[in-house]
Amino acid sequence: MENQTIIDTIDPELVERLAIRKAEIDRGSWASPGIIAALAIGSVPIALAALSTDLYGQAPSADIKGVLDFALALEIFEDEFYKAVLGISNSAAANTAFAPVRAQAAAVPGAVATLQQIEKHEKAHRATLLTAGATNVFNLNETSFDFTGNRGVGGPGPFAKATTDLAFLLEVAQAAEDTGVRAYKGQAAKLMTSPTTLEAALRIHSVEARHASRIRRMRRLAAGAPTSVRLSGTVRGGERAAAGATDAGTINPTAVFNALDKTYGAGSNSTNAPSESNTTQAGVNILTLANANFGADAASEAFDEPLDRADVIALVQPFFIPPIS
Amino acid sequence: MSEGKEFVISSGDQLLKATTRRKFLAAMGMGGAIVFLPSVFTACNSDDNGVTGVEGSAAQFKLDLSNDTGILNYAYALEQLEAAYYTAALGSAGFAALSADEKEVLSDLQKHEVIHREFFKTVLGSAAIPTIVFNTTTVGTLTASRDVLLKTSQLLEDTGVSAYNGAGKYLTSAANLLVAGKIVSVEARHAAAIRDIRDTTGRLFAGDDVIDDAGLDVKAEPGTVLGNVVSLNVVSSPLSLGTPPNAAIKTADSRPVPTPA
Repeated sequence: MENQTIIDTIDPELVERLAIRKAEIDRGSWASPGIIAALAIGSVPIALAALSTDLYGQAPSADIKGVLDFALALEIFEDEFYKAVLGISNSAAANTAFAPVRAQAAAVPGAVATLQQIEKHEKAHRATLLTAGATNVFNLNETSFDFTGNRGVGGPGPFAKATTDLAFLLEVAQAAEDTGVRAYKGQAAKLMTSPTTLEAALRIHSVEARHASRIRRMRRLAAGAPTSVRLSGTVRGGERAAAGATDAGTINPTAVFNALDKTYGAGSNSTNAPSESNTTQAGVNILTLANANFGADAASEAFDEPLDRADVIALVQPFFIPPIS
Repeated sequence: MSEGKEFVISSGDQLLKATTRRKFLAAMGMGGAIVFLPSVFTACNSDDNGVTGVEGSAAQFKLDLSNDTGILNYAYALEQLEAAYYTAALGSAGFAALSADEKEVLSDLQKHEVIHREFFKTVLGSAAIPTIVFNTTTVGTLTASRDVLLKTSQLLEDTGVSAYNGAGKYLTSAANLLVAGKIVSVEARHAAAIRDIRDTTGRLFAGDDVIDDAGLDVKAEPGTVLGNVVSLNVVSSPLSLGTPPNAAIKTADSRPVPTPA
């Protein structure tokens, strides 16, 4: 009888996934004590059996699941926002509300195609996060949002103009995308114990940045935004100035500007989450770098900043009818 | 001579290219002749390793990606490439042919990439790889017209996004991961802006050629990226992959970064 090793009898793809899973555990990912013990003993059959069970019964660790659930809530918000703008929401009221601005977008070449492309990605992100183990913990659906920013009470909120004015809509969309970029960046370190989840999150993160860039360009090229809104799609400065907002609506301009300050400003822990105007990176003062003295604008544009979960939630809560945490 | 191949070395830089070195060794093995044109010798200075403008040995340009320092050096190499390219681009015929709006984009990109390069050089300090020497002839060709300038810029920016997206998981320090994250989103903004300049559909900024059905952007392992960079024929220094990154957490590459049509 021919000898055959255990490994030879296993599907190569499974071996690869097991190896990745073992590496995750080595790096501190959550695993049951039995698996850790088996790995420590170095008993191949026992560890293999334990790892196989772990892999297929695998739930993300509490920390990672928390990140995934949070990300899913943001993606549902973004997706439902673009669906409403495009008139494809399951909420007839939302479709009706955005009809005026939809007509304006239709008159700008490429604008509707861009919004469709972005919506396609946000929808795909929802599905990808669910596959990765996220749960819709806030039970969000198309009726869960007040895109005017008033949590569904007391009439239209400060952002109501997004339904009737394309320039204002794009200001809001830019802020939403940039918030997404900051939110993913702020969560990345929590995913380090799962390289595959981290990589997926990074690949979503850069898509959100592409969206934000294109929206900035649309604002400059077709909606009268100032030159501080860079055609390179990057973020110049911090707080409301970084939004390049020329219009804060009429219902409550102060609330709009305050929200933009939070979108582009420092978080409650300014060490973790500096303002987008930050010009010191990893202890290096970018303004005094040899051979790269381009001033504060370029220094702030060259690096994007993270935002912590609690700050993101405070920022987006006015658009969510149910409380999120 | 009839048995072997004649292999002409016309410039010192050629000796430092991996492909040239392979052919060189192959020619030696077959008893072929190596012809050094006079330009090789006239280019020699007494204060370097025999090749004008090239500093650093092959060993110094061999990336050890088994640790964070190596991964950051990998990023530093890519930023050197982008910075050198855009700096050359600002004085090119291709740049002169751009509209004012388009020039704003390329000028911004040049500043950002030079900042990234100098930032990595500073944080890496004595652990930094040497300054890479670029093939000015190739760079000249790749900036000669508006069309080739924008296509090359798109390729470089998409490549940068794919590289950072593929390398982040190898970083073991949260601080280093954060730095990489702060830069990759800027590269993605650049990529989208350049693509948008070239676009008429409203979709290319995050086109289906880079974003897959799961809504995920391009990612590539370092070996893939370095191979593609070498094939551009813009790097004259002997940049190469030495120790690969942690094989246990390696993932499959996404669809390749598209060469703009």
